[in-house]
Amino acid sequence: MVRGWRLKFIDRLTKIDRRIIYGILALVVILPLVFPTALKVKPMTPVEKLYEAVDNIPDEKALLLDCSYAPQIKAEVEPMAIAVLRHAFAKRKRVLVLALYVQMLGLAQKALTQVTGEFNSKAQTNADSIIYGRDYVFLGWTPPPLIPMLGMGESIAGVYPADYYGNQTDTLELMQQIKNYNNIGILVCLSGSAIPKSWVAYAQNRFGVAVGVGCTAVSGADFYPYYQTGQFSGLMVGMKGAAEYEELVEENLEIKEKRMASEAMLPMTYAHFVIMLFIIIGNIGYFIQRRRK
Amino acid sequence: MKKRIALVLVFVFGILGIIPFLIPHPIVQNSDEYIRNDILRILAAFALVLALGSLLKVHADKIRRKKVNWQYSWVLILAFIVSSIIGLFGGVAGTGLLPTSFGSFPFDIQTLYENIIIPLASSMFALLAFFMASASYRAFRARSSEATLLLVAAFIVMIGFLPVASSISLKLPAFAQWVLNVPNVAGQRGVLFGIALGAVATSLKIILGIERAWLGGGD
Repeated sequence: MVRGWRLKFIDRLTKIDRRIIYGILALVVILPLVFPTALKVKPMTPVEKLYEAVDNIPDEKALLLDCSYAPQIKAEVEPMAIAVLRHAFAKRKRVLVLALYVQMLGLAQKALTQVTGEFNSKAQTNADSIIYGRDYVFLGWTPPPLIPMLGMGESIAGVYPADYYGNQTDTLELMQQIKNYNNIGILVCLSGSAIPKSWVAYAQNRFGVAVGVGCTAVSGADFYPYYQTGQFSGLMVGMKGAAEYEELVEENLEIKEKRMASEAMLPMTYAHFVIMLFIIIGNIGYFIQRRRK
Repeated sequence: MKKRIALVLVFVFGILGIIPFLIPHPIVQNSDEYIRNDILRILAAFALVLALGSLLKVHADKIRRKKVNWQYSWVLILAFIVSSIIGLFGGVAGTGLLPTSFGSFPFDIQTLYENIIIPLASSMFALLAFFMASASYRAFRARSSEATLLLVAAFIVMIGFLPVASSISLKLPAFAQWVLNVPNVAGQRGVLFGIALGAVATSLKIILGIERAWLGGGD
């Protein structure tokens, strides 16, 4: 009787209904999001290096932000874009934003609108404000990606004769000073694909521009060789990387805004523990069954 | 004859693509700039028109022949037409020729994007977490020593990169970082070299006309 019950239990361990797994996972993700708590994270070296690289952009140079992330990976990468933009604008760095594919333009526009809105709502004077054309330019998109990657080495306005809003690029105040990669302090590529490798192959190898990367957790492992060799000045991996950058921005610049990635750390932690727990349960069941056979 | 022209074009432009990386002379660099900024851009525009035409043709054909799920093709065509009109005449953020707002509700490309594309695409991808949890429970088993090693490494990296890792052990985040920096990089670098050499060999075969599968057909 006891043996039968035990066998049944072991069988159940290996055959948990997927709806139960989905339900538990949904619960541990939704609950902490309903009652958001920003979890403190300790920034790791790759993120610190990226932060320093952006922080150390010389005054006469600009940050080139490639927002090549699609809506699918928005949750992971958008907080990176927002954190980097907050950092750059707070330090009065000049910013150029672009996307290499058309479906990413809306997200870049959204991040820019949010961050410039945050700064401008607190600005007292014109000098405090973040003004389009003076402090930042949204270059938009030009196909295929190879054209801007190589072309900006010679002339940014040549590759983007008009910006995203249809303004003639070379008439904008910022673009009078930022001509090509020589005027770029660092290029930060936010992407979930192999685009950062292409920036290294075309823009860095040929023109020597520094490249920093923010990527999804799943593609992070692919980029470590480039970080180790110094081809990437810094690396922000997944939502945790974004939370670390947010931490650095808040700590060093005292910017108290909503921290999307930090608030997602708690559900992410719980979700990881649930997944690990189910893997352990599955393996326990598997080993007992194997021994029985 | 048709294939020969394509082969000659690939050979010429393949070589022209390599030369600027090797010769820094202004004549070479300027010609390269002209090819990229003018010729390539025009070709890309043609490719875009061709792709859109092809997309519409495939779906129109699907509707005409009443193929499986042909109704969805109507959704695509209608969405295509509506977003094209708004995009072409309404501008990216309500700055175009057409007034793209109903009262206080803006109806420009950015609004469509933020309210339709982002939620749909994000939701699709978010579902992955559930499938991944279920699949890892069913398939991630320590069946062999290699699988066990993978399982252990995955656990170390997963826990090591959680914000609570340092509360468990101060050495855990550093160890997870080491797993990514040393064994992972060693493996990745080997794979990268292999891919790079393979890409060089395949590119040379295509440029020299040895590999012709891309032309289609049997020969």
